[in-house]
Amino acid sequence: MTTLPGAHLATDAGVPRLPFRLARAETLKLRKRRGLVTVVLLLTIGVVCIMFVAFELFHASNSTKYGPAGGLDHFHVAVFVLSQLGSIGAALLGATAGAGDLGAGVFRELVATGRSRLALYGARIPGALALLWPLIGIAFTAISLFTVGLADGLATPGIRLFVESGLWLELATTLAFFLGLALGSLIGSRATTIAVLFGWIIVVEPILTHVSALGRARDALLNASLDRIAPHEIVDRDLRLPMSLWIAAAVVLIWGTASLVAGAWRTATRDA
Amino acid sequence: MDAAVEVRGLTKRYGDIVAVDNVDLVVPRACAFGYLGPNGAGKTTLIKMLLGLTRANVGEMRVLGLPVPERAGAALARVGAIVEEPRFHGFLTGRENLRIAAAARERRAHARIAGALARVGLAERADKQVKTYSQGMRQRLGVARCLLADPELLILDEPTNGLDPAGIQEFREFVRSLVAEGRTVLLSSHLLGEVERICDAVAIVDRGRVVTQGAIADLSAGSDWSIVIVCDDPSRATGLLSSEPEVSSITPDGDTLRIALAHGHSLDGVAAELNRILVTAGIGVYRLESQRASLEQLFLEITTRLDGGA
Repeated sequence: MTTLPGAHLATDAGVPRLPFRLARAETLKLRKRRGLVTVVLLLTIGVVCIMFVAFELFHASNSTKYGPAGGLDHFHVAVFVLSQLGSIGAALLGATAGAGDLGAGVFRELVATGRSRLALYGARIPGALALLWPLIGIAFTAISLFTVGLADGLATPGIRLFVESGLWLELATTLAFFLGLALGSLIGSRATTIAVLFGWIIVVEPILTHVSALGRARDALLNASLDRIAPHEIVDRDLRLPMSLWIAAAVVLIWGTASLVAGAWRTATRDA
Repeated sequence: MDAAVEVRGLTKRYGDIVAVDNVDLVVPRACAFGYLGPNGAGKTTLIKMLLGLTRANVGEMRVLGLPVPERAGAALARVGAIVEEPRFHGFLTGRENLRIAAAARERRAHARIAGALARVGLAERADKQVKTYSQGMRQRLGVARCLLADPELLILDEPTNGLDPAGIQEFREFVRSLVAEGRTVLLSSHLLGEVERICDAVAIVDRGRVVTQGAIADLSAGSDWSIVIVCDDPSRATGLLSSEPEVSSITPDGDTLRIALAHGHSLDGVAAELNRILVTAGIGVYRLESQRASLEQLFLEITTRLDGGA
């Protein structure tokens, strides 16, 4: 029936299978947003470079007052700052992945292909993580290199702390991405999602963490649980809520799962 | 062979508003089928239900012989659709937008991208960002996206919106070429002339209901004749002719009278009689001709009748 030009040449060669095709399309949509990619780059790799350049400049200007840019203390600071700003970058990516198609009206076009809505939603996760994880990985690698390379005789982290810190960073930013994805899918507006998420991450959650009247209810806060899971040196012991590691792990698991399920439910049930 | 689209008793409500009201519809294969109605008649809502974009409250639908939404995946794999207006990511190029659409389809769809772009005349602009495209180019890119499915059925909602006259002419030829290849085109529109020129069959819809459907030739054949008279005293002529039993209604327009005939009367006999009455009364008749209602007149007649009954 078809007479499309070149139809006789149509072939599957080089085209990946469905889950990979959809995920690759999601990555394409995110990485082609220059503004978004620039901001996330700044919030991850950029901020690490800026921090260590600043440490080095301070050290060069007054070496008696400011120690070398590398070493264990600066490693702790850098990992903590990257976890905070990287989470904001991850939330931005999540909000865009969740609401980008809806905002542009493209979600309707994709649903009209007959492809399962859950498949479309599910592809957003690996598609965005394919962008997020390498950025966090590169930023953390930069921290590690600066920490060791600029230590100038100071103590440096052991292999175990490197590994734990790297994994914890990926976990924290991945959860922030899940929150952004879920909220973006629920709300359908990127701008509103970002505003709500920033309000929660930057203002509401830190305040709630410090309201002692809330007692054990604070254990349910994602940030408190992530702080509990963090390597001991990264988050000050005084700032941690006293909760067991198992409860912290369960809270993180529930937040992650609930976010993904909520986003999937809304994607499957909304009018396109 | 199954129809391309079969709909039985389909109803969609938004609160108290009935957007689609107990619709039965059969779209035969390998034809251009017009779904014609005024704005707000429920055309887009029906299309959205066919495509799984929204759920029906009641009713059954089959697309390419498969029940939807139960087997929407298989049914829609061979359907290309434009709903309202084609939407794209403006920051991506035309080709990248098609890559995204192709990713949601079968693997072979990727190999159709270049051919689809060529067929709609966008090959040279395919690597420009869509935000730089004109409305007409977006429409054409939307059609190219439909072609990625190598569709047996194309569902096009108001497809000539934003096209200039040359683009509309090109679009007509394009639809006819698709039909000539054995594809089915379901085209919704409020532009009666467009549907009449492009389509083989039509369903007229108003206020969520399909009022009539069939081949355009059959609908026109079944429509009433009218007689158009141009004379020098239309008001006196109206008074004289309105009492005649053969006359159903008279619509004056300047010095022209459009006379609808009551059923069961011979056109030739009535024309001669009306002419005789006017001439006997001393009214000068400049022109007298018979006309069969066009699709547009039929449409207006049906919707006007419904308005009157509302």
